[in-house]
Amino acid sequence: MSDRAEKTALVIGGGIAGLEAAITIAGAGHQVILVEKSPQLGGTTRELYSSFPHWENPAELLQGKIDEAQKTGVQVKTGFEVISSQKQATGYQVVLEGPGQKREELAVDAVVVATGFELFDVSAYGEYGYGSYPGVVNTLEFEARLREWARGEGKEAPPQTVAFIKCVGSRDRSKGYPYCSKICCMITAKQAGLVKELWPDSKCYVFYMDYRAAGKGYEEFVRSVIEEKHVRYTRGRPAKILPEDGRLLIRTEDTLMGVPVEIRADMVVLAAAMQPGPGTREMSRIFDLNTDQYGFLEPLSGQAARVGERVFAAGGCIFPVENQGALQQGAAAGAGVVALFNQAR
Amino acid sequence: MNVAYFPGCSQHGLAKENDLSSRIVCRRLGINLQEIEDWNCCGATAAHSLNHLLAIGLSARNLSRARDMGLEKITTPCAGCFNRLKTASYAMKNNQIIAEKVQKIIGEPAPHEPEVKSLLQLISEEIGQGVQQKVIKPLSGLRLAAYYGCLLTRPKQISAFDDPDQPVSMDHLIQALGAETISWGYKTECCGGGYAASQTGIVYDLGGQVLKAALDGGAEAIVVACPMCQANLDTRQEAICQSKGETRRLPIVYFTQLMGLAFGYSPAELGMKRLLNSPYPLLKKKHLL
Amino acid sequence: MSETMPKPVASFFPALRLDELDDALAREIKEECGVDVELCLECGKCSGGCSNGHIFDYTPRKIVQLIKLGDRERLLHMDALWTCVSCQLCWDRCPSAINVARVMDYLREQTYKENVPPTRKEVALFHELMLGSVERIGRVAETRLVLEFNIKTKQYTKDADIGPKMFFKGKLNPFTSGIKKIEEVRQIFRKNPLRKEV
Repeated sequence: MSDRAEKTALVIGGGIAGLEAAITIAGAGHQVILVEKSPQLGGTTRELYSSFPHWENPAELLQGKIDEAQKTGVQVKTGFEVISSQKQATGYQVVLEGPGQKREELAVDAVVVATGFELFDVSAYGEYGYGSYPGVVNTLEFEARLREWARGEGKEAPPQTVAFIKCVGSRDRSKGYPYCSKICCMITAKQAGLVKELWPDSKCYVFYMDYRAAGKGYEEFVRSVIEEKHVRYTRGRPAKILPEDGRLLIRTEDTLMGVPVEIRADMVVLAAAMQPGPGTREMSRIFDLNTDQYGFLEPLSGQAARVGERVFAAGGCIFPVENQGALQQGAAAGAGVVALFNQAR
Repeated sequence: MNVAYFPGCSQHGLAKENDLSSRIVCRRLGINLQEIEDWNCCGATAAHSLNHLLAIGLSARNLSRARDMGLEKITTPCAGCFNRLKTASYAMKNNQIIAEKVQKIIGEPAPHEPEVKSLLQLISEEIGQGVQQKVIKPLSGLRLAAYYGCLLTRPKQISAFDDPDQPVSMDHLIQALGAETISWGYKTECCGGGYAASQTGIVYDLGGQVLKAALDGGAEAIVVACPMCQANLDTRQEAICQSKGETRRLPIVYFTQLMGLAFGYSPAELGMKRLLNSPYPLLKKKHLL
Repeated sequence: MSETMPKPVASFFPALRLDELDDALAREIKEECGVDVELCLECGKCSGGCSNGHIFDYTPRKIVQLIKLGDRERLLHMDALWTCVSCQLCWDRCPSAINVARVMDYLREQTYKENVPPTRKEVALFHELMLGSVERIGRVAETRLVLEFNIKTKQYTKDADIGPKMFFKGKLNPFTSGIKKIEEVRQIFRKNPLRKEV
């Protein structure tokens, strides 16, 4: 295996980061096997209806990457998971499990982990009533509803008043995670903007502590949502939601004026924190990878994407990141693999 | 099971029915409540509001007496007393300076045992769904609002029991008795606490919100586990409702009274005659008398 | 709308010389209450959840901010100290676990030590009468307490609507028995006087 001319890379996770890594490696002429646990490629991006900062439907981006992967000869295995691996001299002997518990063994020379993130379970915040009060949803659940409403397939009546609560599970040392999940401010601005786009006469509120728009075109994006789409941003982290007469009463403080504030909403979207998904935790265990205290994969000191012996990582499994960042990290991980393959061993 | 019992001042006065029903129910469940000899008032709101060490000292004396009884757990049917005893215990356990100061105040080592649990917590954790086996008269047909108040599950660092915002222990107990519970958002909202006498308006405001939410949620009675919540919502209900033009009324019943009823005891035995908003008409309507 | 808005900020705070403030108060609160105000994210969740925030002159978040600004005087003179219900929501909901409820207790304790009169005398009176009962007999004599309070605040007909009802239900116990070892309780009081010895 060690002196084979043709090298094989295993990419775990078929989201944007994984696809880009696979395309980069295959484009350089190497064998790539891309495994994806679910029946379809796309990861979190598949669940999105729109993206920032250009309001584009990511379905086009995604399909483009899937087509390119096919063109460059990436072997896609959907419905497959990595269940074990054994370190070899220059690579790994991995065992995959597919539909019907079918098992396959593979010898690979490098691995890219791109297993993404998952949303924090916001039912931990009893004060917001997720799971208890109808109309309280999380980020991705709301994105699905936006897609349905935009296509005229909405199962529920459009809400007259929508409120977004940010940092649910983030920036919290008491429960949830102390870190900032980085991309939720932008996702919330996008979703709030879409609400006003769909129903200009609706009332749309974003309750924030800060809004973080550190990226190219990001600040302008959020300002346009506030100034052109007229989404109302109010500073104050809501303390509780109370069901009242079939609507949702939100109690908070306008911290800039220092006065108590209430609104009655039909739907409340909780911008949930992002945490390492089960796939990330599994792969870090199976390949003995470097992780931080939360379970996110952590590139080794000074390295762009390397997280272990012949293992690279990209995308949400390192930390929450948006599509642009996932693309860049996927390319970096892919380049790392190609550089490795170009060396003597 | 032998447990040290701290009744609290209300249970010897205004809330005697809470003490009565608690003892009856515990006896039936095989929980042997041993009242702490010569216990003193925990200090309630007054002590902690005006002097931190006084409050801890008063609770420390009770915990010391309980420790001397050699029992592992201490329970109380008053949420306020529970919070004070557990807060004192927590402070003495986690703060060496406080523990030393307490030793100087009460003249004996700061007590770390026994473990403090509210009665709701004790029954919920030790008996749980086993309550069902003792039910002789299922309370079917009753729709009830489980009202926990501020101090049973909050603050989470102190109570370490159930959930501070969406608790379910009392709901599960009520369901085990055969009754239905409503889903409502005011389970742990404040009733107005200790202001019944000195700022009655606050009780009218906050207690009124709780009553309205229970009524709007379709409850036929509110079930409580705290004598202060009971007093606020029951004795002030007439004034609150009149001031808001509300004609509906709700009986405010202790969860132990409800349990006793399901165990086959009569309402009178459980002190239900002492409640200002009588539960008798409701029980009669549901054929539970 | 104008009735609910506070007066213009400038009438409360003429421009603060931030660079002339020290952190003595913040350090005091940290030492005495174990509360570190630097952890505050200024998110306002405490204020939003506060049971009586709508009648406080300073909401919980503002109270923490006042500690950061070292405004001890304003804090001791707040009306909020005498309408706080100690529901613990502020501490429980705070993402930095700042125990505002404990700070309120501490500030109230200091008003007694420094002879700052309460803005609502009845509240302080009720607390003192209750503690008086505990010091006297080790327990709260409820009936006597309420009667004493009503008389001392000259509200002779207060609770006249529910008094008789409660009496006939047997709820008003005129004789509360005290504890035997009352000296043990009195000793706790002696070692923790509410006011500074003159």
